[in-house]
Amino acid sequence: MNTVYIGGAGIVSSLGAGLAATETMLRENRSAIRPLTVFALLQGTPLPVGQVDIPGLDGVGRDPALPRTHRLALLAAGEAMAGAVAPPDAIVIGTTTGGIAVTEQLLRDGEQDKERYRYHGLGTVARVLAEEFNCTGPALTVSTACSSGVVAIALAMAMLRCGTVKTVLVGGVDSLCRLTYFGFHSLQLVDRNICKPLDRNRAGMAVAEGAGMLLLTMVRPAKPLAELAGVGLSCDAYHPAAPHPEGQGAFMAMSAALADAGLTAADIGYINLHGTGTPDNDLAESKAVRRLFAVPPPLSSIKGATGHSLAAAGAIEAVVALLAVSRGLLPANTGLMQVDPQLGVAPLAMPAERQVKAVLSNSFGFGGNNGSLVVGAPGVFASKGSPQPVAALAIHGYSCLTGAGDLLATLDRLKKGGSAAGPVGQEPISSSLPPQSIRRLKRLPRLTLSLAKMAQKAGPGDLTPHAVFMGTGWGALSETHDFLARLAATSEQFPSPTDFVGSVHNGPASQVAIMFGATGPNITASDGDYSFEQALLAASLMMGDSSEPAFVLGADEGHEIFSPLLDGSIAPGSPLADGGGALVVSRQAAGSKCSIAIPFYGRGVDGAVVDLIAALGDDWQSSCGLVMAGIPAAYEREGKAQLADFVRLAGLTLPVVRYRRLTGEFASASAVAAALAASMLDEGVVPGALAEGSDIVLDGRRNKILILGFGQNITAMELSR
Amino acid sequence: MQQLIAELKVKLIDILNLQDVTPDKFDENAQLVGGELGIDSIDVLEMVVMVEKDYGIVINNQEVGEKVFSSLTSLAAYISEHSARASA
Repeated sequence: MNTVYIGGAGIVSSLGAGLAATETMLRENRSAIRPLTVFALLQGTPLPVGQVDIPGLDGVGRDPALPRTHRLALLAAGEAMAGAVAPPDAIVIGTTTGGIAVTEQLLRDGEQDKERYRYHGLGTVARVLAEEFNCTGPALTVSTACSSGVVAIALAMAMLRCGTVKTVLVGGVDSLCRLTYFGFHSLQLVDRNICKPLDRNRAGMAVAEGAGMLLLTMVRPAKPLAELAGVGLSCDAYHPAAPHPEGQGAFMAMSAALADAGLTAADIGYINLHGTGTPDNDLAESKAVRRLFAVPPPLSSIKGATGHSLAAAGAIEAVVALLAVSRGLLPANTGLMQVDPQLGVAPLAMPAERQVKAVLSNSFGFGGNNGSLVVGAPGVFASKGSPQPVAALAIHGYSCLTGAGDLLATLDRLKKGGSAAGPVGQEPISSSLPPQSIRRLKRLPRLTLSLAKMAQKAGPGDLTPHAVFMGTGWGALSETHDFLARLAATSEQFPSPTDFVGSVHNGPASQVAIMFGATGPNITASDGDYSFEQALLAASLMMGDSSEPAFVLGADEGHEIFSPLLDGSIAPGSPLADGGGALVVSRQAAGSKCSIAIPFYGRGVDGAVVDLIAALGDDWQSSCGLVMAGIPAAYEREGKAQLADFVRLAGLTLPVVRYRRLTGEFASASAVAAALAASMLDEGVVPGALAEGSDIVLDGRRNKILILGFGQNITAMELSR
Repeated sequence: MQQLIAELKVKLIDILNLQDVTPDKFDENAQLVGGELGIDSIDVLEMVVMVEKDYGIVINNQEVGEKVFSSLTSLAAYISEHSARASA
């Protein structure tokens, strides 16, 4: 049995908090879109938004310093977990804003105390939830713009299906902030009047906030709310902000979701559209729907009621899909006055009451990042096969960039006993890229594209990755900084559309997709120092038995102002380091250089080291040549203790290299470590400078390198030849 | 008018980061959007901001925008027509 049940659900949006309040508002076909009041504007009339106005929201959570995003997540998660008897085995959250709303204010106040920025990182939302609900397993964070909620659900579903966990708390959340409010406005994607998706006179979206949460379980609850039947992901690989004009990626995502659920178009009783209200999205989505459905079922977008809550939207609408199958409510296309005849679809003008067996729900985002999911009534459809264990990924090409340069230059420096720490030079991140295609790109996307290009070149020429799994601790700091700086400098008058598009965490991965025509799943994970490991975990889970190759990337940029404020490991005034690593991986071992697996990922709580050792299995030491340990400077004390425990409990006799001393402090240093390990296995030797003295030959007997991560989380990546 | 065109060339090269273009190589009559320079919808929005910020002219209509940004000459013409500052 491999059925994924929805055992609990929670929702908070501009419509209100809770499933019952949401259902009432949807049944009454009421819009909650109102002029913004959550923060004050320096000038002009506030635009209409979907703002959460709930008494007591400020009191949610244990820490008064918690940003709004975290509170919204806690509120919805509380409802989803209300009937749960045990902590979830894992948490997966999709978010694009994290603590940025607080950061914006702190920056304006000139705050220099980095402690105050502690909730900035996207991964802090999942961590706060993990602490609240006592989850010690993986707490993962994805950020793929407006498809984040669905991508999080896709990842959770893959974890459940492969049998590693039994329950996952999953959802999406975003709060209103200046970045998104002014960003979408600068792109002229906001309707100044009433948001009216699919309308002939639609003129854009209403930026919104909220959270949707699901408790997914493989153990059939007494009263399952619904089943999560299938998900499908795709990437347009077309443009950083505009959808593919024919809705090609949308079609692929919907088709993949149906195939995953084992259903046909005729089984779908209602489609919850992405339907943002922008001219381009609604047109492209309608084309895709008409291509897939000869006669489309009843359909609507609820964004005229809620606004577009970005990363939350996919999860909020998963809850709406569940209301459709469990309560027979098909919501209206609120705000619609006159349907656009060009679209060729007939959205529900009024809410409908109808029993449906399955609902398709769409979420599309910047970077052409698309996700669709199918929610089914319990017990209606046959469940899919048995759990599949996660196998190692074959590495066909690898690359890294550090302060020393590319992989060869980095290894050369390390062999001489030097350090590769420092900012990556301008030359290695620009010279190999076509000037016209990168003119709008700042540091992180350039780093990422260069890494991808080098890794692909290092592999056999015919391997072109189809999917992209990217980890970045902090995202595009230059673009984010420059957007906010110009916003402030022009008294909120002239925000930069280019910087806004570039600021999204999945911007670099979508650039990689465009460069390589990678139309498969495109996932960006972001949780500080563990982002690359999360990207690798996502690749291991999501690649299934697909024969298509993929990129697994990790990169971060050192930013003069942001890095010392946001990254706990970078002391103010200390020299910056940055860089990253890339792998080209597939399920085809033939012709590969080595393989990589992620046998352990958990929170750094008591007992985690014991679990780590158990996960490594018996006798792993005899085949291992080197242990590379990553302890972020911010967690030196905890990390050192964890490493000491590991050495003691595992009876470790192998050399241990603290790789951050060689790469410098930056969030995706572990991606560099992975590329270096792949290179050492490929060459068959660990240079003496990395092995406490003399060279270690890696041969048939010793053919493994273990990369451990310590601190807030404990992780293990195992590379083998 | 020529002065405005020369001024706009420098501004566009700067805000759109057209690294491999110099003002004398910038053909003011060539197709601006969708032409050889690779200028797309995001660049148009960036130019809209510049026109408002530097010349005080608001362009928030897509049809008008398409005409205005069809070439650098048409952009200069639109600015000089609508701007008290540029025509003074």
